[in-house]
Formats: sequence, C-alpha cells, structure tokens
Amino acid sequence: MNQEELNNRLSEIKDKLIDIEQQADNRIFLLCEAENSYAVNKFLFEDVPLRFVIATGIDSEDCFEILYHFSNDETGCFVTVKAFIRDRENPAIESIAPFLPAAEWIEREIHDILGIDFTNHPDMRRLILADNWPEGVYPLRKDTKLPVRLVDDEPSGRPIVQSQSPACRTVKLSKPIVAVGPFHPLQEEMEFFQLTVDGEIVTDIDMRISYNHRGIEKISETLQFDQVPFLVSRICGICSASHPLAYVNAVEELAGVTPPDRAQYVRVIINELERIHSHLLWVGLGGHFIGYDTVFMWAWKYREPVLDLLEEITGNRNNYGNVKVGGCREDIPNELIPKMLKELDKLEKKTEMLTKAVLDDPVIHARLKGVGTLSKEDAVKYAVTGPTARGSGVAIDVRRDDPYAAYADLDWKVIVQPEGDVFAKAVVRLLEVLEAIKIIRQAIKKLPDGPIAVEVKEIPPGEACGRAEAPRGETFHYVRSDGGNRPIRHKVRAPSFVNVPSFRASCIGQHIADVTITLAAVDPCYSCTERLAVVDGHNNVVQDYEALLKLSREKTARIKKEIGTPQLKLEDF
Amino acid sequence: MSWKIWSLKKSVWVFHVNTGACNNCDIEIVNLLTPKFDVERFGMKLVGSPRHADALLVTGAVTAQAAPRLREVYRQTSKPCVVFAIGACACGTGIFKSGYHIVGPVDKIIREIDPNAIIAYVPGCPPKPEAMISGVVKALSVL
Repeated sequence: MNQEELNNRLSEIKDKLIDIEQQADNRIFLLCEAENSYAVNKFLFEDVPLRFVIATGIDSEDCFEILYHFSNDETGCFVTVKAFIRDRENPAIESIAPFLPAAEWIEREIHDILGIDFTNHPDMRRLILADNWPEGVYPLRKDTKLPVRLVDDEPSGRPIVQSQSPACRTVKLSKPIVAVGPFHPLQEEMEFFQLTVDGEIVTDIDMRISYNHRGIEKISETLQFDQVPFLVSRICGICSASHPLAYVNAVEELAGVTPPDRAQYVRVIINELERIHSHLLWVGLGGHFIGYDTVFMWAWKYREPVLDLLEEITGNRNNYGNVKVGGCREDIPNELIPKMLKELDKLEKKTEMLTKAVLDDPVIHARLKGVGTLSKEDAVKYAVTGPTARGSGVAIDVRRDDPYAAYADLDWKVIVQPEGDVFAKAVVRLLEVLEAIKIIRQAIKKLPDGPIAVEVKEIPPGEACGRAEAPRGETFHYVRSDGGNRPIRHKVRAPSFVNVPSFRASCIGQHIADVTITLAAVDPCYSCTERLAVVDGHNNVVQDYEALLKLSREKTARIKKEIGTPQLKLEDF
Repeated sequence: MSWKIWSLKKSVWVFHVNTGACNNCDIEIVNLLTPKFDVERFGMKLVGSPRHADALLVTGAVTAQAAPRLREVYRQTSKPCVVFAIGACACGTGIFKSGYHIVGPVDKIIREIDPNAIIAYVPGCPPKPEAMISGVVKALSVL
C-alpha cells in the first residue's frame, strides 16, 4: 500500500479521532479518546492492515497516554494511535489483545508499570515485576517514590523455590508438567518455560519472566540524551550496536540532524559485523541443541575474528558505545581496511562451507524440517520480526523498508523462506551472514572521507520513533523530549519481546524432543526482553532441561542411524 | 591450607548464574569453552548443576526477582565454594545502579546468607575472556 492509499484509508476513521498529526510523510499520529481506541486499532490491524509494532504507556501528568505503534512496511510509515485516558484515579482502556495476540504481553507490562487496567484482557497476570514487588506501586508513574523497599518474605529455613505470585498460573495437578530452565547448562541465559504435556506431545506452554528486568526505561529518564546510548547498548550484549542506533535514529529525527556520510557508513559496517557474529553464535548454539557440538565449536571459532575486528575499531569486543547523536565516536582507520577485507574473504569461505554442510546433510533435513513451524498467519498475528518472520515468509526488513544509515545506497537481498520451520530459520540466518559480508564489502568500497560527527546543541520538545534491524529483528525506540536535556519517556521494544510469545503457536503439538530447538529457533534474547526465568520446584516436574537436551540429541542420533551419516572429507574444510 | 581448599583448586568446575545481566558477560563465559580460549585444558568445566560446582560465575546486577534464586543456588553448592562476580554489574551493579528493580550487587546478596563467603571480582564491561581466566587463576592462587 503506498502512502496515498494509506492516507485515504486513515481518513475513513476520521470521526473517531480528535486529530491527525503528520510530522513527516511517513510519521503519522492519530489522536483519540480511550473509548475509541479499540475500534481504531481494530481498523488499523484488520482492515488496513498494518503490522503492530508495540504500545507505549506514558504518564503525562494530567492524563495517561497509550501509544499504539503500527508500521506500514511498504513505505516504512509509522502510524501511531495516541489514546488519552483522562481518569487518573481508575485508569482503564479496552484491551486489544483479543484480536491481536501480539499485544498481550505489552498490555500486561503497561499494567505492571503504570497501573492501567485493560478490560477484557485474557490473562492479566503480573509480567515483568518481581513476585515480592508491592501491589499498587507503579514504577513509571511520575509521582511514585523510588526506590521501593521490597519485603523479602523468604523463610529462614528451606526457601520457597516455587514462585508464589499470582503471576504463576495455577497448574492442574492431573497433567504432567515439564519445566524447561532456568539455570541450565551451556545456554548463556536462563529461561523458564512450563510445558504441559500429554505423553510426548506438548499441549500448552507458559512463561514466567521478570528475572532480567532492570528498569532501563526508567534509568534512561535520569540520563542525558548523550549518555543514553551507553545505557541502551547494555540492554543486550549481542545487540549492542543496534539498540543505540535505533535510539539515535529517533533522537536525530527529533532534532532534525543528519549525521555526516562517513558516520552513516561506519554505522552500517559495525551493525553488519554485529549481525555476522550474532548469527554465527546462533548457528553454533543450534548445532549444540541437536547434538552437533562440532558445529558449535566451529561457528564460535569463526566468530572470533569478527570480534577482534570490532575490538580494533571500537576498543571493545562487545558494548561498542560507538554511535552518538549526530554521528559516531570512533572512526574506522583506513589502515585497517585491508585487514578487514582479508578477514571477510576467509569468513565467507567458512560460512559457505557451513551453509553447504547444513543444506546437504540429510540428518539435519530430517531433524529440522517441519519442526516448530510458525505459519505465516501466526507470524502476522504475533507480529514477529527479523529472521523469525522472514523464515515464515513475511518479507520485512527495516533496512529495506525504512532505510537508515547508508543502507539505501547499498545493494543486497532480503532473505525470505516460506516454510516457517526451524530449518527455514537456520537457512535465513546463514544466508544473511553472506549478505552481511556483501554489504560490508560495498560499504568499505564506498566509505567516503570526511568528519564522523556533527555537533548537536539542543534537542527540541517533541516525540519521535526510531528503529533498526538488529540480528533478531526490528528494534524500536520511542523518545519524547520536553526540550530539556533528558528524555521524559523512552520506550524500548526489542525484537525478542514479540518473537518469544510466538512459542505458543510454534511449540504446541510438538514432540518434547523438538522443544529445545524450537525455542532456540527464534534466537530468544531475554536480556532484551528484560526478563529471565525461574527455578520451579513444582512437585510433578518430570524432566529438566538436561533431560530434554538428551532427548533432543537422542532423536538426532536415531535419525542418523536410520539414514546414515554423510561422509565428509577433511579437504572439504 | 585445609585439604578442602587444596582439593578445590584442582580442576575447578564452574556453574554459571545469570542474575540480570545484559548477556555480554554470559556470552564471553561460553566463549571460554570454545577453541580460541578453551579453558577445559585447565580442567575447568561448565557444569549443569550447582551441586557439582566448585565455583559460581555470577553475572548481572541481581534483580529483585533473581535475588532469592541466587541465594538458593548458592545454598545448593557444596562448600567451600568460590563466588566469582563477573563484570561491572555483578561487582557493583554498574550502570544499572539506580534501577528500581535492582537489589544487588552480588556480594551483598551472597553475604546475607553466608558472611564468610569467598568472593572474587572480575571487573570489566564485559571482561575479556583472558581477564576472566586471569581472575580465576589469581583468586585460586591466594586461597
């Protein structure tokens, strides 16, 4: 849908709106009262249709605002519905989760942090605050006094391992429960899933998170605009280039600043190096989950030179702290370029070998094809992004749809696979590594001379959205300024926040042995989602993570036996 | 040196606890196992249960929800157990100091249940894998 058609469609609901604000061609705000927000959102999602990005709750002194951000991916246009809740005593708004499952988590989150009641929400349990967080204290309300004293109700003797909060769904004792997580070996993050099973088949999945919730959005309000990139790069270690980039995209849009050309190219190079090391990391972990530890070791070995390059450019293997509002902090030294090209050549060969090994291996085909399938309809309903969406045939990529940095000047392909299973997602990631290498080569070739930053004096009052394509999908940042030197609201939506809930669509009906790889297939990042998982000492936990890993590996071994292992020769590597 | 400490220092088995880290220190810990660093040549190994562990590698600033679980994991380890606070957050909550959901740092939470706990610190954001190896070696050599 082009911009004109979109504008025509939007004028159909004019009677439900207070006003339409158009800041730029592709940034539209629809202002409405809380009681009309359901109808407006339903119209945007079902009739237009637009992709749901996230919602932002804001305490703006005299009222609450809920911002529903939608994206039209053909033009890169953001359509934001701004609903005003005037009643500060009992703030309430109708939930949009019944027709839009992607909004379920974010409405729970807004309920936790702002105390807004979403009527008709299917599952209003606590999401991101701790079990012992007091009821009725909402950290993102401006009048809440922080820090809050937390009552540690842990008895002195044997501790309660099972969470007592209402957030933990009461489990029917008749059905066996499989707890996956939380502190489990060789996975760098904890994650906790509660699977209800019938024999070998998973019938329900539930998640409890909050373990990694650090309250970054609130901390951000205490930092100056120029300090925030250091904070947001620490949202997630692996996306530590994309989060600051999405943030500066928003602030630069707000301030009307365009960074110099060289800075745009440096940003592209650093972001693509990040994508390469993140995807290789995933390939390694994926291999580990299905019992191919050699792949794990190889992929992580190939990743090291990329980290070394990043260290040479920015001074750190991760957490680069390289982008700032108006440009970059560190330049790519021209002397480094021959070395980068050499390393890229080596890496390309290795990645091609890995890709060939995956595509040609009958065992991997048998093990991953048709497993953990996320259909295109579910991908749209859960509003997934990144390789998870592209592996399900949804061709979205912020780099192409809403180009930032220097992506518009470069030539590359968006990799899409229609099948939606784990195999498709693995293929998408492997081919994206090759595309990333292509992008970096072009960026190095075109790298213009000149300064890498412009001075930014003031951030004017206003609001803006910024996004960037992180390795896991679209990273979205919303920044509002009152003209001071600190943001008054900064909302972060990391890709895993929408990718993780899609497990409900991809895991149910699967064999238990396939669950670990299905869960891993979206490359979940819990520090991004600001949450982690829990020890669950439920009496009828029948299997822990290690047992699941064992099951998964046994299945691979069985398939191997049945079809025989392909003979690989040393020369192939 | 008691025989317990003596036996602890040979081939340390470690258990990794993430208490609200940004994933960076955690990735670097997993990196220790991979070919470039390969700590298994020193007999060090990541294990799947705190009950098998001689040392805990704790990352993250300790969120309110993670604190009771960290204490529980520490209780489950066999003593003596060396706690390594890996990274700036674990050592002193770092950039997340003012966060409303942060109750750390790690040493405070561990000392609440064991005032005599052996705690070593490896600062950095994230510490390089070489720094982690060096930290472990230094801590074990002063025990």
